[in-house]
Amino acid sequence: MLKWTHKSPWILLKIFLLGALNSFTIWAVPILISNGSYVFAGYFIFATVVIDYVFLSKKRVAGKYIIPGVLLLIAFTIYPALFTGYIAFTNYSTGHILNKETAIEVLISNSYQSAADDSAYPARVATDNLTGEYVFIVQRPTGEITVARKESSATLPRSDVTLAEDGTIDSAIGFKLLSEDEIFAVSDVLSELSLQAGNDEFFKLVDIGIVERLIKTLEYDAEKDIITNTQTGEIYRPNDRGSMVSDSGEELEPGWQSTVGLYNFQRVIEDERYRAPMVQVLTWTFIFAFLVVLTTFFAGFLLALTLNHPKLKAKRIYRSILIVPYAMPGVLSMLTWRGMYNEDNGIINRIIGSELPWLSDPTLAKAAVLITQLWAGTPYMFLICTGAIQALSSEVIEAAQVDGASPSKIFWKIKLPLVLYSLTPLLIASYAYNFSNFNAIFLLTGGGPQIIESGGIAGHTDILISYTYRLAFTAGKGNDYGLASAVSFLNFAIIAIISVYGFRKSKSVENM
Amino acid sequence: MTTIEQVIVKEKRMTTSRWLRVLGWRHLVAIFSISFALFPLVWMASASFDQLGLVSAQKLIPDNIGLDNYRKIFNNPEAPYFIWYRNAVVISLANALLQMAIGACASYALSRFRFQGRKVTLLTILVVQMFPQLLSVTALFVLLAEINQSIPTLSFGSPLALIIIFAGGALGVNAWILKGFFDTIPTEIDESAKVDGASHAQIFFKIILPLALPALAVIVLLSFIGTMNEFVLTSVIMGVTGDPNDLTLAVGLQRFIDGQYDQQWGPFAAGALLAAIPVMLLFLFLQKYVVSGLTAGATKG
Repeated sequence: MLKWTHKSPWILLKIFLLGALNSFTIWAVPILISNGSYVFAGYFIFATVVIDYVFLSKKRVAGKYIIPGVLLLIAFTIYPALFTGYIAFTNYSTGHILNKETAIEVLISNSYQSAADDSAYPARVATDNLTGEYVFIVQRPTGEITVARKESSATLPRSDVTLAEDGTIDSAIGFKLLSEDEIFAVSDVLSELSLQAGNDEFFKLVDIGIVERLIKTLEYDAEKDIITNTQTGEIYRPNDRGSMVSDSGEELEPGWQSTVGLYNFQRVIEDERYRAPMVQVLTWTFIFAFLVVLTTFFAGFLLALTLNHPKLKAKRIYRSILIVPYAMPGVLSMLTWRGMYNEDNGIINRIIGSELPWLSDPTLAKAAVLITQLWAGTPYMFLICTGAIQALSSEVIEAAQVDGASPSKIFWKIKLPLVLYSLTPLLIASYAYNFSNFNAIFLLTGGGPQIIESGGIAGHTDILISYTYRLAFTAGKGNDYGLASAVSFLNFAIIAIISVYGFRKSKSVENM
Repeated sequence: MTTIEQVIVKEKRMTTSRWLRVLGWRHLVAIFSISFALFPLVWMASASFDQLGLVSAQKLIPDNIGLDNYRKIFNNPEAPYFIWYRNAVVISLANALLQMAIGACASYALSRFRFQGRKVTLLTILVVQMFPQLLSVTALFVLLAEINQSIPTLSFGSPLALIIIFAGGALGVNAWILKGFFDTIPTEIDESAKVDGASHAQIFFKIILPLALPALAVIVLLSFIGTMNEFVLTSVIMGVTGDPNDLTLAVGLQRFIDGQYDQQWGPFAAGALLAAIPVMLLFLFLQKYVVSGLTAGATKG
């Protein structure tokens, strides 16, 4: 018999949560499949099955604790990271978003142009008495009368139509002609209409009583995989970077998504527009991260030493206030600093009585970034240095004092090396963190001032990650996700090398 | 009498000069550092009370002190400050708790159980924490665009989507810090509980978690601050809908000063000052845990 015990509420909760998860999956998977998202549908099923198995099994104890986190990790960190790696090898960018089939459809349907000189014909707008749909009743130069509808076109027998004295159509059997006022009333709808003219051509209303004949200028030959311009005879062939290109080098927009091999990496290395700023950005990234760690560490270390005196009663209060910058929301403090650096009326220029262009001069902007990071980063270093100094064995220092070592010798030969030794892993982590400290740059200077030669894509204070962001989302020519991912890839490689070095130093891998 | 008085005075003088040499300069350094640390905050406060509000604060104590800037941010339907505040706090709090829960569970498994794939998981966590989610913002954007076709409620503009995405990063630094802390709790404690017939869940909830409370507090605090500060993912995921009600404080307030010509520093300063309050309070409240939590990594490895 089932008995109610203290465990029962938990079992009920478990059944409820598993039930909710399973119902959600059963609901979501068919929708995902119908939209062609097979990877996601597959992952949903996989995750649900794994969770069901682990939580209903009596044995998989460790799994119960770790599986939910691991599944989320795979979905939202590992998969995006791998996907970033994949995008780096594609041409994914503005103008290369669609797949090939859709891109060619768009190209063809965008290619309609008004046919040469004799393309404007007299016509009346009418509604079909049976269906109520709008039609154009068009008088072709040949005297033929065409009824253009959304889906089809037909020739109207001459006898169904009566003409007015000026030669325009006066009435048509089966149709109700619209007056000028009526046309004005629905002009929004009418101006959007392209109605069939037969032979892959269309009529479009350009004025009251006049339509224009639009003809297709591009034609796709699926067998040969080429596009021909029917007007000029120019032939476009697909290149290996997802575009249709003519022999003279003219590219049709839009192109489609395709893999482009190492093209993005090649561009970073070989293309002058990217290489020159890239070298500059990368150099500054290394210098920036190094200087930030160096200055904040020394400021924090000296401050920690200064305040770490047993007789200093106020040190608790001092410490609480000194870590305020660390507790301030970083986004807001970066923006606040931006206001303080303002050239015309910023508080900093007011205090030192100058008109220094803090954010628009390359050198001053770099100084501004470093000063701000000194402010933002010192509290953290102060905290960890305080911890490390308090952990120093006092015996070593006392022994040195007994041996007659001077205070400066104790500082340089004992305290500094010991603290440095114990903090090395954290300093390397801090270096890696600052290497991609996006907020520090993007919110303060926006990467600016611009490097003129880069065409405005890179700035003098841009670090690799802010440069990547600009490539992906704000570059003038549209978003180049492929190139941005390639740069991300490089960024990750550098951070990984630094971090692996750091973990080697801290030996955490061996201890696990 | 006089001699005693003289002695006392003499001793006091000596203490003063000694005090200057030993402690006085320390106070000076501290006060100088504190003024540097608080400088932006003071400026923010001053700018927020400056009625003119056209430019950044002119003087430390502005000529026209008033609450105009606060009124401006409270009554602007295009910049719904309180909704941003609510969004930011809800997302950050939910994320902080989720990070803590996922991190604690995973760390318990990694610290106490020896299972197949443990070493692989640990190595994965090591590598993953080097890879900022920020770097894969493009990929996450594409991922959400695809989900948007099927389940629009779990996509752009959805706080839930943002929270779930952040939760994907829970098994990173946090799990690493927590596992380090769990490792320092002697296994004898759970062994003896096991002998007494305690289940793995009882050991986790009744023994390990209470002992790890300081570390859990640190994770909650750091995740909370981290989410409040997150800018790029939030602005991409919540910003694309174009609905100001979807934004958070960090992304929303940034728009006050984003314009080339229309930089509203006064309202921004007012909003930023109020936005800093919850984080600062939480921080001061949990301060002693933070110091030990941060240095744990250094001393314990």
